[in-house]
Amino acid sequence: MSSAPTAPASPVASTSSAPSTSLPVPGMTTVDAARLLEQATFGPTEAEVTRVAALGLNGYLTQQLATQPTGYWGFVFVPHTAPTNCKSDPTNPTSTASLCARDNYSPFQVQREFFENALTGADQLRQRVAFALSQIMVVSSIEIYEAYGMAAYQNMLLNDAFGNYRQLLEDVTLSPIMGHYLDMANNDKSNPSQGTSPNENYAREVLQLFSIGLNQLNPDGTPVLDANNQPVPTYTQDVILGFASLFTGWTYPSRPGANSTWNNPINFEGTMVSFPNHHESGTKLLLNGVVTPAGQTPEQDLKLALDTVFNHPNVGPFIGKQLIQHLVKSNPSPGYVSRVAAVFANNGLGVRGDLAAVVRAILSDVEARGNTPSSADEGHLREPALYITSVLRGLGGRSDGVFLRSQANAMGQPIFTAPTVFNYYPPSYQLPGTSTVAPEFFIDDAATALARANFLNTLIYRGGAAPDPTVINSIGTTLDLAPLTTAGTPDALVNQLSTRLMHGSLSSAAHAAITRALGALASDDVVGQARAAAYLVASSAQFQVEH
Amino acid sequence: MDRRHFLKHASALGGSVALAQLGVLAARAQTVATDYKALVCLFLYGGNDANNTIVPIDSAGYASYAAVRGRLALAQGTLLPLVEASGTAGFGLHPALGGTAGLQGLWESAQLAIVRNVGTLVQPLTKTQYLSPSTAKPASLFSHIDQQHQWQASLSVSPSDTGWGGRLADQLAILNSGGSIPSMVSTAGNNLFVTGRATQALTIPTSGSFALQGFDNSAGGIARLAALKSLLGVDRGTDLLDAAQDVMTGALASSAVLNPILTNTTSPVSSYFTGLTSSFAKQMLAVAKVIEARASLGVQRQVFLVSLGSFDTHTDELNTHDTLFGDLGAGLKAFHDAMTGIGAAQQVTSFTLSDFSRTYLPNTNGGSDHGWGSHHFVAGGAVKGRAYYGTWPTLTVGGPDDEGSEGRWIPTTAVDQYAATLASWFGADASALASVLPNLASFSPATLGFV
Repeated sequence: MSSAPTAPASPVASTSSAPSTSLPVPGMTTVDAARLLEQATFGPTEAEVTRVAALGLNGYLTQQLATQPTGYWGFVFVPHTAPTNCKSDPTNPTSTASLCARDNYSPFQVQREFFENALTGADQLRQRVAFALSQIMVVSSIEIYEAYGMAAYQNMLLNDAFGNYRQLLEDVTLSPIMGHYLDMANNDKSNPSQGTSPNENYAREVLQLFSIGLNQLNPDGTPVLDANNQPVPTYTQDVILGFASLFTGWTYPSRPGANSTWNNPINFEGTMVSFPNHHESGTKLLLNGVVTPAGQTPEQDLKLALDTVFNHPNVGPFIGKQLIQHLVKSNPSPGYVSRVAAVFANNGLGVRGDLAAVVRAILSDVEARGNTPSSADEGHLREPALYITSVLRGLGGRSDGVFLRSQANAMGQPIFTAPTVFNYYPPSYQLPGTSTVAPEFFIDDAATALARANFLNTLIYRGGAAPDPTVINSIGTTLDLAPLTTAGTPDALVNQLSTRLMHGSLSSAAHAAITRALGALASDDVVGQARAAAYLVASSAQFQVEH
Repeated sequence: MDRRHFLKHASALGGSVALAQLGVLAARAQTVATDYKALVCLFLYGGNDANNTIVPIDSAGYASYAAVRGRLALAQGTLLPLVEASGTAGFGLHPALGGTAGLQGLWESAQLAIVRNVGTLVQPLTKTQYLSPSTAKPASLFSHIDQQHQWQASLSVSPSDTGWGGRLADQLAILNSGGSIPSMVSTAGNNLFVTGRATQALTIPTSGSFALQGFDNSAGGIARLAALKSLLGVDRGTDLLDAAQDVMTGALASSAVLNPILTNTTSPVSSYFTGLTSSFAKQMLAVAKVIEARASLGVQRQVFLVSLGSFDTHTDELNTHDTLFGDLGAGLKAFHDAMTGIGAAQQVTSFTLSDFSRTYLPNTNGGSDHGWGSHHFVAGGAVKGRAYYGTWPTLTVGGPDDEGSEGRWIPTTAVDQYAATLASWFGADASALASVLPNLASFSPATLGFV
């Protein structure tokens, strides 16, 4: 498959002077290390491939699971309604007011920092998992436009990424950002005189999207079928009404020094606070026939509800399969899902919901590891964010994120700005005319495919993007193609790119097509050859589909 | 297998342009000029609250409405009366949908019809039947994505991998064999509605260039473009790689044709959109430009998909509707005025779809929750407008048309019938209809006559 990768395809543990007999070899091949870095980071770099090959899988995962979040810093509270001196003026986008609005009332700075962190943060795996979680437990800047709010939510996901799912579920539920996005904040008990009933929004989506899904699942992720071969729903509308009633009586936390009252002003710092007199006091029907006792406090009700959801057998396969799809492959076998779901159910120490153990299981699985996938049609399309960062990290790129955030927009994935709580793409999306699941392809169309190619053109042929004088410490966006100019021959140049960008997996047919094009350039035009080769490898379907 | 079939189809398109003789193109343009039709689907994402879109304005009807809707009730005096041919008006439009410069204007010129209480169904359904476990009902009612898919597929029994727009395009593919772009065009990305068995939609951008950048006529540029294209044909045979390659292949072929059309700033249709800056207006303008170029594109039956989001008004519904309906009313009026302006009024029909309507009973946050049956707009010169079709539901919470106790109306017209009416106008005969809408036979009448 690969045409002579230049990297050594053997374990790199030989420089150690340790006794060589019975100790297990910790290292892994550089090819598998690079493949692991495609799954666990925002793209391999030469230095990381060398380091991980030496550390080995377990050593690398242990180190990454213990790495603290880089996170989003420097964001400050602003009131939900922007003051007049902080409103955007389209006729003067660099006025003080426009920049104030951009920095505080839009996702601009958070999106920019997302790319900075993805390119340079040491917490690569944590960031990848948090980014996956941000696409499962979605909030969008369409409604959470305050930068400090979006930053706080993403910091929460980064902190919880390797914790317990039960804690994550509770943190998401009591987050005032999620409370604002799906209306649990200020969800009042029913009011007979006004004829109003509790808001069903969070109740429905926490079940459908964040935890168990619509239909009962086997431990391997396949649907449970009834006698008529039909899926079996996990809940009825009565259960939605029960959860809607249960999620009443919570409002935004008050600002420091302010009185806390029902309907506190919008505030995304801290967690939501309860007001028992706004909580529906009756019994509530939950899942699997569980009914809450009447008269419980909001906290008592919440604990019972979240415990009930957490212990539903669907959570492991439902969440586990989606994490596999984000990190490794769109079409995991039922066996892969069941192995991961088993670790979700019990991490080996009797603990359910240990996300660090789940992530370790996903990346250690036989379907994830090895120099090549076990079948030809594996992997997944690199979503725009990963496509962008993989090119930058693989080709010595540097960026302040300004240009990259705009490119993610053009490719259909504005960061933290999904169109709805259903994310940019559904996990079940199938390629037309096939039964192949391919979520990321939902946003791959003629317009966004051209945007990917044109992104490369700007980076490679137009020097990237200049620093933005309105952004502090702006460095613009550049690649470093100089190392490619010393490859020696077109053949070696293409091999080097294949190694850097796609663990040496470029096919011989693709290799031949690219070297043919390089032959049209003067043999001493090493810059032109480096550019053309980088453009062609990075625009190829073979690179875009990570496998 | 279908993917390979699709690729063959795609390259056949490219080839047909290259091989076409001038005379053939001219004859094709002539045919398209006399026999052209377009369907424009406007998908209102999130579930539009139809209860606040069309509102009873007679005294008793309004009083009953206001009593239930409470703080969601629109003021009676702000509703825009929809005067019927008889001279009376029983219902009014949400004011943001626009007076004579909006949907009220389209209604008064008989270019707008309203189809009442349409929804996803497996079979006609009374409340008694709904409450019976043995009656077939749509799966996953009240779930956004499932109900979107069922509206787009016009199939509620089980998940479908094609949509009714796509199947309609499949059936009429013969009319589009001379086209230089795919027959279906989306400004809203990939979508089940425009997914056929053999026919896929092209997504076009609504701003900026639609072109591959950075290639010149130097030897290096020519060789690199040749390599780019050559790479799209190697390593075929796996679905994921094939899909990435097919999307780019289609993008290269279609953008070359469409970029000059989409970036033309002096197109006659542009003037109708002056001052409209919403995403919806930009999408409608892009569609108008493609339709304006219909003769040169050689496609006789086009299906378009446009979308408008944020209708999931669990909270702050009144303000949200004001914004969204302002965009919808002005954009749709501008579009149909533009169609009249280019002489295509009779040939272009637009219509709304949405996940579901919303609960008649408001929730405690100034919003409403997921419902079911909904009222929909159909617009265009061929529409038998200024009239209602289908049956108005009894607007009583817990009443005969409410599935439960929040006012989620059991549909009285099926998506299948709504779709069949549009598909018939588009040119689908009985046998084509049966393929496009496999469950149509469960409903009677098959078509509703609004166009």
